Amino acid sequence: MASNDIIKLVTRAPASRRQFLIGAGTALAGMTLGAPAIAQSKELTIISNIGNASQREVLQRIASAYEKESGVKVAINNMDHEAHKTAIRSYLVVGAPDICFWFSGNRMKAFVKRELFDDISDLFERENYKSVLGPAAGAVTVDGRQYGLPLGGLLWGLFYRKDVFAEKGWTPPKTMQQLLSLGEQAKSAGMIPVSMGTKEMWPAAGWFDHMNLRINGLDKHMALMDGKMSYTDPTMLPVFDKWAELINAGLFSPNGTSFGWEQAAAALAQKKAAMMDLAGFIKYGFPQDQQDQIAFAPFPEIVQGMARYEDFALNSIHVPKNAKNKENARDFLAFFYKPDNLSAFLETESAVPPRNDCPPSKDPLVNAAVESLKTVEGSAQYYDRDTDPDMAQEGLKGFQEFMAKPDRRDQILERLETTRKRIFKA
Amino acid sequence: MSTFWRSHRYWIAPTLFIMPGALLFGVVIILASVETIWISFFDWDGVGAKQWVGLANYAQLLDDSQFYVSLKNNLIWLAMFMLAPPLGLALALLLNQPIRGMRVVKSLFFVPLVLASVTVGVVFTWVYDPTFGLLSLIFSSFGSTAPALLSDEHLVTFAVVVAALWPQVAFCLVLFLAGLNNLSEDLIGAGRVDGARGWPMLIHVILPQLREVSFIALAVTVIGALRSFDMVAVMTSGGPFGSSTVLAYQMYEQSIFSYRFGYGAAITTVLFVIMAVFIAWYLRTLLRPEREGI
Repeated sequence: MASNDIIKLVTRAPASRRQFLIGAGTALAGMTLGAPAIAQSKELTIISNIGNASQREVLQRIASAYEKESGVKVAINNMDHEAHKTAIRSYLVVGAPDICFWFSGNRMKAFVKRELFDDISDLFERENYKSVLGPAAGAVTVDGRQYGLPLGGLLWGLFYRKDVFAEKGWTPPKTMQQLLSLGEQAKSAGMIPVSMGTKEMWPAAGWFDHMNLRINGLDKHMALMDGKMSYTDPTMLPVFDKWAELINAGLFSPNGTSFGWEQAAAALAQKKAAMMDLAGFIKYGFPQDQQDQIAFAPFPEIVQGMARYEDFALNSIHVPKNAKNKENARDFLAFFYKPDNLSAFLETESAVPPRNDCPPSKDPLVNAAVESLKTVEGSAQYYDRDTDPDMAQEGLKGFQEFMAKPDRRDQILERLETTRKRIFKA
Repeated sequence: MSTFWRSHRYWIAPTLFIMPGALLFGVVIILASVETIWISFFDWDGVGAKQWVGLANYAQLLDDSQFYVSLKNNLIWLAMFMLAPPLGLALALLLNQPIRGMRVVKSLFFVPLVLASVTVGVVFTWVYDPTFGLLSLIFSSFGSTAPALLSDEHLVTFAVVVAALWPQVAFCLVLFLAGLNNLSEDLIGAGRVDGARGWPMLIHVILPQLREVSFIALAVTVIGALRSFDMVAVMTSGGPFGSSTVLAYQMYEQSIFSYRFGYGAAITTVLFVIMAVFIAWYLRTLLRPEREGI
């Protein structure tokens, strides 16, 4: 009765049944007419998670070129980058495309273990990728089989504006001491020393990676990622103590949880901040004509003599196990992975090409990363790519909280340890 | 055939008409609810095999500090949302005047109802932004700095609820406006003859006639408060560090980001039980006059 009332109240007139029938009939007719009448003989579907417009364009261009060469129609479905992270788990099970984008390493392994990615070792063999890929092949290898092709590598570190540093006479910090004193100088110049927006949580985890790699090194870091080391281990304390020192020195953006990385990057572009911790895609935050001002510097040293380990994250591209056109998918991947196509695709995000036979890049950010990688002795990917996704969620939240409330260190670590025990059954 | 139809149509016709709705309701609501409760007894990542864990998910829930934060936030939502019906009524009374141009004003008040809640969330996020937001402009014109509402773990839930209240008040306003249009002129006239004006008129003549509308407004508001999710997702993603998370969002986060469908289902089940209490009250109130009517 009340629901009847509500309709009467809102509409104040009963809807005409005839009108409804007309409307429904039209809708039905539209649906049948709109359905494609001709079935494509050969079609390849790709789900992409690329957010950047110019990179989408390059992918579309490669796909069109492939269409012309092979006669296979290629359909690209673009998804929002964040939404894709959740959608992939359902579409890999039901309604898989022939090719999809994802992240190598542990995140790939999660799907390999559930038999959702196709083994493409045959493609590796056929195209002899191992000889051109080098260490990047390891990121897509599980138990000696390959389950994807590595795409661009993102080298994480500090970015700054050349013109600002030149004008103020600053140099990129090489030690913690220099970082702190640069922070003081930046603050007296009315700038935020390190721009950091943690609304999406992950930027704080990147900072943690740097600190942990500089203080405890790669082996201990990976042990922590694999759940083999406790978060309450005494070796963790110096990491958080040093970090708290930086936070209390006012090095990071105030109210950092209010905004995301894009706004943080904009602060750097607008000369409101001196530095920012990110990867090559920081240039999306800059106007086109100012992108040549961006410069890269590795994260400063903390423990003297510690070998240089960095976060180097590799995206990847895969053939789902449930794909319908696995053969065409392999063909397309081989086409897409030709040095020219691949480097055109990667140029747009300033990512380091995984193949060593790609033409040399014209992008100074890529070349800086390539140059810098030569002195890197080992790499992790990124906190939320290296550890279990469930652990990552709690970890990211914990780091975000730590940056806002450094005095809660012990509670946070306690909580992370409880989570680690639950997930890794330690 | 025609005699069969004639003798049975008293039940065949209604059954046929109810069938599509009942089928949809059965599959989408009932079946899904039962399955959710069933999943809550498993450890499941959403893709692989399910593993029976009995009540372990619920036991974990009791130990989860985040769960209590979400529960507390749901209560804040519920309490603050109770402002929507009275505010809506007040606005409706204000707007229900035969003044020229009132239609334009009315439609301005309807605006948030037309906007998708995602839009409302984004707009309020901008308003609250500590660097360029409207709020900070207002504060700085008085020479002080605005608090970063969405970064403050104690204020963030209130800030989100205020944003969600805006369309909710508009919704109640529409209900009450419609209700005010349906008032019995006779009763009002009779009241006027008896000398009722102002407050006595409102309380003794108008409000009793709005009883049913108020009931709907209240019920819709309660349910709206409990199932709050979109605003939290858009404005804060449950942050900073989980302090604005509500049960529905925690369920989403645990299932989608942490790959813990069993645990997410357990959270949903708790939310379901809380909602069931209100729904039972709603149905009881709804069915009582109907039964009395027969």
